[in-house]
Amino acid sequence: MQNIIDVQGLKKEFKSFSSRSGLKGAFRDLFTRNYTIKTAVDDISFTIKKGEMVGYIGENGAGKSTSIKMLTGILTPTDGKIVVNGMNPHKEREKFVKTIGVVFGQRSQLWWDIAVQESFRLLKKIYNVPDQQYEEHMKDVIETLDIGPLLDKPVRKLSLGQRMRCELAAALIHNPPLLFLDEPTIGLDVLVKLKIREFLKRINEKYGTTILLTTHDLSDIEALCERVVMLDEGKIIYDGPLKELRENWAEGKQIQFQFSEEATLEELQHLTQEHLVVWEKGESDLVWVASVEAEETVISGVIGKVTAAKKIADLKILEISTEEIIRNIYVEGAVRHG
Amino acid sequence: MEYISIFFQYVGQYLKTRLTYRADMIVEIFSDLLFQAVNLVFILVVFGHTNLLAGWSKDEMIFIYGFFLVPFSIFASFFNIWDFTDRYIVKGEMDRILTRPVHSLFQIVLERMELESLFGVVTGLVVMFYAGDKLGLEISWYDPFIFILLVIGGALVYAGIFIALATIGFWSDSRTDIMPMMYNIGNYGRYPVDIYNKVIKYVLTWILPFAFVGVYPSSYFLKREEWYTYAFLTPVVGLVFFLIAVTLWNVGVTKYRGAGN
Repeated sequence: MQNIIDVQGLKKEFKSFSSRSGLKGAFRDLFTRNYTIKTAVDDISFTIKKGEMVGYIGENGAGKSTSIKMLTGILTPTDGKIVVNGMNPHKEREKFVKTIGVVFGQRSQLWWDIAVQESFRLLKKIYNVPDQQYEEHMKDVIETLDIGPLLDKPVRKLSLGQRMRCELAAALIHNPPLLFLDEPTIGLDVLVKLKIREFLKRINEKYGTTILLTTHDLSDIEALCERVVMLDEGKIIYDGPLKELRENWAEGKQIQFQFSEEATLEELQHLTQEHLVVWEKGESDLVWVASVEAEETVISGVIGKVTAAKKIADLKILEISTEEIIRNIYVEGAVRHG
Repeated sequence: MEYISIFFQYVGQYLKTRLTYRADMIVEIFSDLLFQAVNLVFILVVFGHTNLLAGWSKDEMIFIYGFFLVPFSIFASFFNIWDFTDRYIVKGEMDRILTRPVHSLFQIVLERMELESLFGVVTGLVVMFYAGDKLGLEISWYDPFIFILLVIGGALVYAGIFIALATIGFWSDSRTDIMPMMYNIGNYGRYPVDIYNKVIKYVLTWILPFAFVGVYPSSYFLKREEWYTYAFLTPVVGLVFFLIAVTLWNVGVTKYRGAGN
């Protein structure tokens, strides 16, 4: 299978000006300026194959949007190589964007004042889609997204859920082989979310559309993506099947130890180094929580190692959710492969 | 060409939207007319005290004003980019523009056009015919063609200067008052440049060539042969400034930082 997206050593730095404080500082700023360089995306590499649905996750400011903007040709990379659909997105922007669809959850592609179908007609013209292809393809899209009754309403009169479905249709007018979705389900209710997920699955199956999706809602990822790429502070900290992530972590357990003597992170990590454990401090200095795989040998191994070396007052085993696991991974900073 | 067909699609859409807000459109045309009338009254007031200004008569001044209105209105209809930084850079609308397969500047022209301003072309022509009649000017068969060429040149001068200014937004999104200031400077172009001192004349000719929107091209029709070289330079200057501006724009787009970072 060919690579739709091929990213090597991608980097983006923003130079920003930091002002000094006070009036005196303002005067000094006039002559010499302090610039700080912030690396938003720091040397990331990955490839995505045709037909894949990939979840792109990370906290706010992790570099998700910046990298998506570089992949879609909006921003120029500081360094690195990007090939998407066989083109360099920024160099051949106008030709390139004909082969992608983009939905930014917080930004509308549609014209505010005019009816949805008029927006579609303008976009059809902009993308130069032949009538026949448009009719055939859009009829299907409109039916599946159930937006037929909304077509003659101006966008400003639509609810968020209705608008989002129209946005999705608008991004697909030229039937692109690659679709970028940035927070497509933000602020939507469960029913609309389900409808959108169903639709995405369908176009993925029917047209082999490759989808790269960023979201804060992990249930989206769980419903759609087999693979996740996780970013933190501009770096990829995990790239692999969601299944593995879940097997290693999500179906894991948390073991809460209450020690009767003080314990340090290094000490605990050293004790359990042969297992996959994320240690986190609990509510007091004496309480530590270990997140582990839900495997008997691991659980008893960890408990055995810890109790053999340290005195404990109490011990609890808890189930943990995916959300919590992802949070733990971020606190820890990196995913350690099992 | 594809761009022409996109252009007409947008114009159609624009008219459709505008016609649903009829009152809005009428108010806008009316206020435009009022603005032009005020400017004309200003010229008349100045000439209430004197009949000649640096060798230019009242009717000649009125003619220049009429000519100026034509390229200016065309510019005002299609290059509404005075709020580009605010609207497209700070609010991040440029993201959307850049995900579409049409040149970014062309899309902004399409999105921001205000065809009501084209009404100024009519006002300009009326003023020119009135003044021209008083001056006893004659029109030869080729004059309309030269007129169109000079008008396009003038509109390109305006567009070039304002596009170049808008591109500042790609480097710095801080607020500046440079756009309104430039609109004021632009107004100097409708008076004969020889009433100003040398420095201002030089600036209006070669740096911010607003003189190529009003006086210089009009002097061709006023048969002021001493200015003919400048008059025929109009399309060249327009093209050069416009091309420089578009080049700056294309470089600027690669410096776009996006919103929210």
